[in-house]
Amino acid sequence: MPDKLLRTSLVSGLFIMILLVSACAPPVAKIKVSRTEVKPGDPVTVSWETKNAKKIEVNGESAEKIGAKTVTPKQTTTYEVVARRGRKEARDKASVTVVVVKPPMPTISLKADPSAIDLGRNTVLSWVATNASTVTISGLGEVPASGQREVSPRVSTTYTANAIGEGGNASASARVTVTEPPPPPAPEKPRPNPEPPIADQFRAQVKPVFFDYNKSDILPEGREVLTKIANWLNLERNRGIVFRVEGYCDPRGTSEYNLGLGDRRSRAVKDFLVSLGVDESRVEVVSFGNEKASGTEEGAASAPPSWAFDRRGELVYVRGGERP
Amino acid sequence: MFQLLMKQSGRRSERSAGLSIHGRRCQLVLLALLTYCLGQGLLSTSTAVINPGTSLQSQTAQTSQQSPQPEELRRQIGTIIVTPGSGPSIAVADFQARNSGLDQPIGVFNMVLWDDIRFAGIANLIGKSLYPRTKLADPASLRYEEWGGDPVKADYLAFGSLIDATNAQGFLYDIKTRQAVLTAQLSGNERDMAHQFADQIVKVLTGQDGIAQSKIAYIANREVQVMDYDGSGSRYFTRDNSISLFPGFSPDGKRLAYVSYRSGFPNVVVRGEDGLIIGATRFNATTTSPSIGPDGRIVFSSSKDGSGMDLYLAGEDCSGVRRLTSTRKSVNISPRWNPKTGQEIAFISDRGGSPQIYLIGADGSNERPFLSLGGQMDSPAWSPDGRFIAFTWDGGGAFNVYLADVASGQVLKLTREGRNESPTWSPDSRHLAFQSNRTGRWEVWAMHIDGSEQRQLTRNGGRNPSWGR
Repeated sequence: MPDKLLRTSLVSGLFIMILLVSACAPPVAKIKVSRTEVKPGDPVTVSWETKNAKKIEVNGESAEKIGAKTVTPKQTTTYEVVARRGRKEARDKASVTVVVVKPPMPTISLKADPSAIDLGRNTVLSWVATNASTVTISGLGEVPASGQREVSPRVSTTYTANAIGEGGNASASARVTVTEPPPPPAPEKPRPNPEPPIADQFRAQVKPVFFDYNKSDILPEGREVLTKIANWLNLERNRGIVFRVEGYCDPRGTSEYNLGLGDRRSRAVKDFLVSLGVDESRVEVVSFGNEKASGTEEGAASAPPSWAFDRRGELVYVRGGERP
Repeated sequence: MFQLLMKQSGRRSERSAGLSIHGRRCQLVLLALLTYCLGQGLLSTSTAVINPGTSLQSQTAQTSQQSPQPEELRRQIGTIIVTPGSGPSIAVADFQARNSGLDQPIGVFNMVLWDDIRFAGIANLIGKSLYPRTKLADPASLRYEEWGGDPVKADYLAFGSLIDATNAQGFLYDIKTRQAVLTAQLSGNERDMAHQFADQIVKVLTGQDGIAQSKIAYIANREVQVMDYDGSGSRYFTRDNSISLFPGFSPDGKRLAYVSYRSGFPNVVVRGEDGLIIGATRFNATTTSPSIGPDGRIVFSSSKDGSGMDLYLAGEDCSGVRRLTSTRKSVNISPRWNPKTGQEIAFISDRGGSPQIYLIGADGSNERPFLSLGGQMDSPAWSPDGRFIAFTWDGGGAFNVYLADVASGQVLKLTREGRNESPTWSPDSRHLAFQSNRTGRWEVWAMHIDGSEQRQLTRNGGRNPSWGR
């Protein structure tokens, strides 16, 4: 009986010892990668194997004892497995080098043949681009990577070709000089017919009408002046006279608005004359705004140059009035 | 500011109280809405701007007339024009000559390129005194640390070389990533090549088209002249031997309308870029201020129907004239298209007594005041991106160029010296040209839309500029 007891206790002691020994075995870890050098975006399989470990991490994330995963590293990456058991740990590393191939810079050339043309003629643009995904030419829009195009610019034009690729931008320019025919001679001014004597009489009768700043009301003096002129214009022998009222402004306002103000002044003069019986069809109106203003200060209307003189309506003989 | 908003929205909700039985809730909603509009006005896209008939839009503009708050506008414009510390920095190294005998063209090239980049306003241009002494002609001799480190500290570096008088090679490098972002083969005369390279740099850095190759039309010696955007190379566009006024390019730069007295009366004439006449009005009246819209239609002002100056629309050859406004005895003048939409027109009217800015739809609808600052306002120019209207106003004495944000009505003063009138927008909506008499006579000037970098373009007189493409 003691024998049996002894044997039993020896066996179980051995068993416990084996258990103890095996419990203290150090962990083992191994990691490997399917490829050590890749381009960005290429898949790589990372696989690992551990023994005697309770806790396993691959790059900080907990993992199975034996496992694999596929990754696509963007840059050079080291993968590390850590196998732990209590205070004991084992590590292993494997690296994948990501080789970045710099995309090549695009190139482009552009030429125009001939580079100088007469107006109305054609020239041929030809271009060659490399390493470009998009090629555009000013005035033509998107074009193939290389090619030719006939153009007929009406004015001298600089064509710029732009090539855009993964590696950057490239551009090239070609100037086409267009020679214009000599400008047509300035239209000869129709020589005015010698003015009839009535024109001089008209000028002797009329006087300018002056206005207040930024106003187009006919002032009392203006009414007097225009009434006299209307009486003369209404004489039977003068009823054939066609004349023009020109409206002027001083230069203190803006020239764009003043063209409108001058128009309103000339219209005010016309309306006043028409109210005195002058036939509307005899009166043209035209504004010169401040285009002929010469004053630099208010001054007096009777002493040009002055702003007071600039603000006026003037009557100008156009035609008619001669007795047959 | 907040109290002001309360007051304004209170006033607003009194007006709209009849619309809602929930008066108080309406007031709160309007307050929120108004706050949002004033705060976000400038951020809103142009679709909000063209939205016709929204009383909100015009009311917002009017309320801010009572109390302009230009700080927000100034801040917004600060994001458009790069000022020191607010954007990337660029160094532009002098181009080097590959061959002898290029001293003159290379001097011009370097000066023009420098001025172009400086005026582009897209990056801080680092002064040449900080640059390394070593000459830089090609990428092989580029030492990044010289340009990236103190004292240059450039984000980008432009450099290159002149191969001969009409060919050059330019590079733009990103100094941080040490990569070329642009290589350019340039050809033409030295000014052309510098302008080409400058525009390509702008394109690469901003994605937008530059303006260095654009043209400006203006009036000198009573004729329309056209010059490069920097004032060089001016030439006669018309030889009418008459009075020519108010040239206006079409948005695509292919046509130009102006006023000519050739017929004895001021009439609108439209010419192609080759100078050939496309069409003209033939009225025995005063016809003026043509503006060509993006679809080619022309809006102008005329007294042809006898009752006053009214706005008219015509086809691209001046045919099919249709009346747009009818206000007896008023001057309705200086119309300008919204080039972004081609649907709205800003103009000047003195129907309320003094000339102020109004808006009208191209179909004649929704005619309304836009901005009334008192005094005299003129030449409202709508920016190509539709966001702003530049104009001239004599508030505080002399006429000056101002900028109004269309959505919020906020107003910013841009000029201060002499008289400054007739603003016109660059195609990139970042620059304005105008006429100024600060030198003693009218000359054409240009500036950034924050009023900085004012530079004189003409030297022998110039008025009525119009910036083309």
